[in-house]
Amino acid sequence: MNHERTGFKHTHNYRNKLRQDAFFKLLFQASAILSSSMIVIIIGFILVKGLQPFMAAYQYGTRDFFSFLVGTVYRQDSGIYGVGFIVINTLISGFGALLIAFPLSVLTALFIAKIAPKSVASAMQTVVELLASIPSVVYGVFAAGSITVMVKNLAALFAIKTAGGSSLLAVMLLLAIMIFPTITSIAITAIQAVPEDLEQASLALGATRTQTNFKIVLSSAKSGIFAGAILGLGRAFGEATAVSMVAGNKLFGPTFNPFDITRTLTSTILTGLKETTGVDYDIRFSAGIVLMVVILISNLSINFIKNRIGSDA
Amino acid sequence: MKNNRRLLKDRLLNGLTYLSSAISVLVLTLVFIFVFSKGASTLNLKWFTNDYWSVNMYLSFPASGSEVYTIPKTLPAQSQFSTRYGFAVEDYVDESNQKMIRIVYIDPKSPLLESTVLTPGETFGDVQPIKVNMTVQKFSVVDAQGEIHSAGAIVKQDAAQFIETLDKESVSVSSVYVQTIGGGIRGSLIATLYLILVSLLIAIPIGIMSAIYLNEYAQFSKLTPWIRSSIELLTGVPSIIFGLMGMLVLYPITAMVGASGTSVLLGAMTLSIVLLPTIIRSTEESLKTVPDHFRSASLSLGANRSQTIFKIVLPSAIPGILTGVLLSIGRIIGESAALIYTMGTFVNDDPKLLSGGTSLAVQIWSVMGGEVPNFQLASAISIIILAIVLILNVSVKFLANKLRKTW
Repeated sequence: MNHERTGFKHTHNYRNKLRQDAFFKLLFQASAILSSSMIVIIIGFILVKGLQPFMAAYQYGTRDFFSFLVGTVYRQDSGIYGVGFIVINTLISGFGALLIAFPLSVLTALFIAKIAPKSVASAMQTVVELLASIPSVVYGVFAAGSITVMVKNLAALFAIKTAGGSSLLAVMLLLAIMIFPTITSIAITAIQAVPEDLEQASLALGATRTQTNFKIVLSSAKSGIFAGAILGLGRAFGEATAVSMVAGNKLFGPTFNPFDITRTLTSTILTGLKETTGVDYDIRFSAGIVLMVVILISNLSINFIKNRIGSDA
Repeated sequence: MKNNRRLLKDRLLNGLTYLSSAISVLVLTLVFIFVFSKGASTLNLKWFTNDYWSVNMYLSFPASGSEVYTIPKTLPAQSQFSTRYGFAVEDYVDESNQKMIRIVYIDPKSPLLESTVLTPGETFGDVQPIKVNMTVQKFSVVDAQGEIHSAGAIVKQDAAQFIETLDKESVSVSSVYVQTIGGGIRGSLIATLYLILVSLLIAIPIGIMSAIYLNEYAQFSKLTPWIRSSIELLTGVPSIIFGLMGMLVLYPITAMVGASGTSVLLGAMTLSIVLLPTIIRSTEESLKTVPDHFRSASLSLGANRSQTIFKIVLPSAIPGILTGVLLSIGRIIGESAALIYTMGTFVNDDPKLLSGGTSLAVQIWSVMGGEVPNFQLASAISIIILAIVLILNVSVKFLANKLRKTW
């Protein structure tokens, strides 16, 4: 009898344990699926909401999709919404920032990974990490208070009047500062991953340390460095708060003059919201879709360029 | 000759790397110098507990007897003491460079402590003692002839003139107009704490459980790479898109629990999604470092899988989880774009979970957005944010060293 009782207890315990296992597995699985479905939810909901203004049944008056996409005027007050020029502005400011930041990032990464003595390298690494950890709103305050002043003074040299320094150039400089740490830290990782024997071979063939660094190391780390550039560009396109503080909000465009105010997709989404219904609200979601498409396409095209360069080598 | 040219070229190229490194140091220094030079003067302990909005008060207090108050010995030299009414004031310049008179001391027996509200309405007659740190706008003083004069900052008096008018010319004071000091960050601090608590409360369990599934259960499942890359995709989504998503998807949920419009809860829920990839990744990283023989030993001793996970694997993974949490807190404190639409930009001095409010970062956006951007306040808040972020960074590094321990 005694034996029976312990036996029963055992199976009972065993079953409980199995049930517990099944329960937790289900729970873990459910949260993994929940986490991974977030991206689908985000894209799905924004797509549906953002495409509404172009549907025939739209309650605030259907908008023409084509004129939204290529329009060169964006005026909330008169209900004209064209984001064509805003897309161009976004591309100009993003690629402009990349143009400034990319060489600086690669050179700094090379310095940290290969050239600097150990103590200096680790100090520089900290500098890059600090730059990366400064929140965008703080960069925004800095840009609004100092970069704009710089741009204003620079423009005054050419006898150009700016809107208090808020300008395309200010946006580019600000974004360059913000994407610099992103590109640099990825470039450092890429450079450190270059196999030692490649460098040894180059050195053995009589190249100097510097020649090896610039010709062998950099070209071997190319693909990683480009990945950093892609990430930086994505950040530049998606950056909202800081950019809105220095962009001004131009109503038409595109803006090619670096001293003129500009308007990016993010600053369009972020600023001037008054109501949470109506076209002016819904059109921000449409701009959100355009933003995601811009990021996607630019990523794909940089990837394409990367592969082209890769096959040349 | 050729060697010389090569040497020159090498030096030039090397010089370029030095130069670009120097530029990055310069930029970092400039950011710090800017923020500190603009914001340091605003920083003081009172600022943390002050409201953002200053409140105007229209009060009166009973006529004092013939009592004469004595100056306390602890009073600083630049303060002016009114022997007739028993309080001291100081000159002071506020953030928008206006000259103010601030009350720095009130005698425990002073009639100022028995002030009542003069504004008509429900609160009329309620006791509202005048407190230290309020600023004096106007005292309407009655002189010996029964005529009423104005004294205080409103008639451009400084502290000394103000006290002289009170003590030499007045018989009684018919009404008082004072202001509490604004420009503080108490409301945003509270809202930020709420934000950190609630968003971590949502994100940590979901994140850890997802990481456990990916690393412990589905390591070799065909679905896992898909799950992993769709979580990774979240890191590439700009935060403003998260803000749009919050308004669209999560707002109905917060509306169900009683929030009308933007709320701290909505902001926290939005942020919890932003944080998921960070927490999942760092948890997974540390789960990977837990050696397999730990699991085998536990299983062979008769523990089931969930017992093994909760009692053996998770405790060993705590440093990694903590790293994720610290990184997340940094992200929450710095985040602005995703919060502007979900929490609102109105600085709320008394934020609740279901009411609007601003985090510190959003308060910066808010004070920078007006007609005249308030650089002092924005920079002062920036200093706080930078300090917190720096501390978090150091702790993450410290933890990373801990994490590297071998079993």
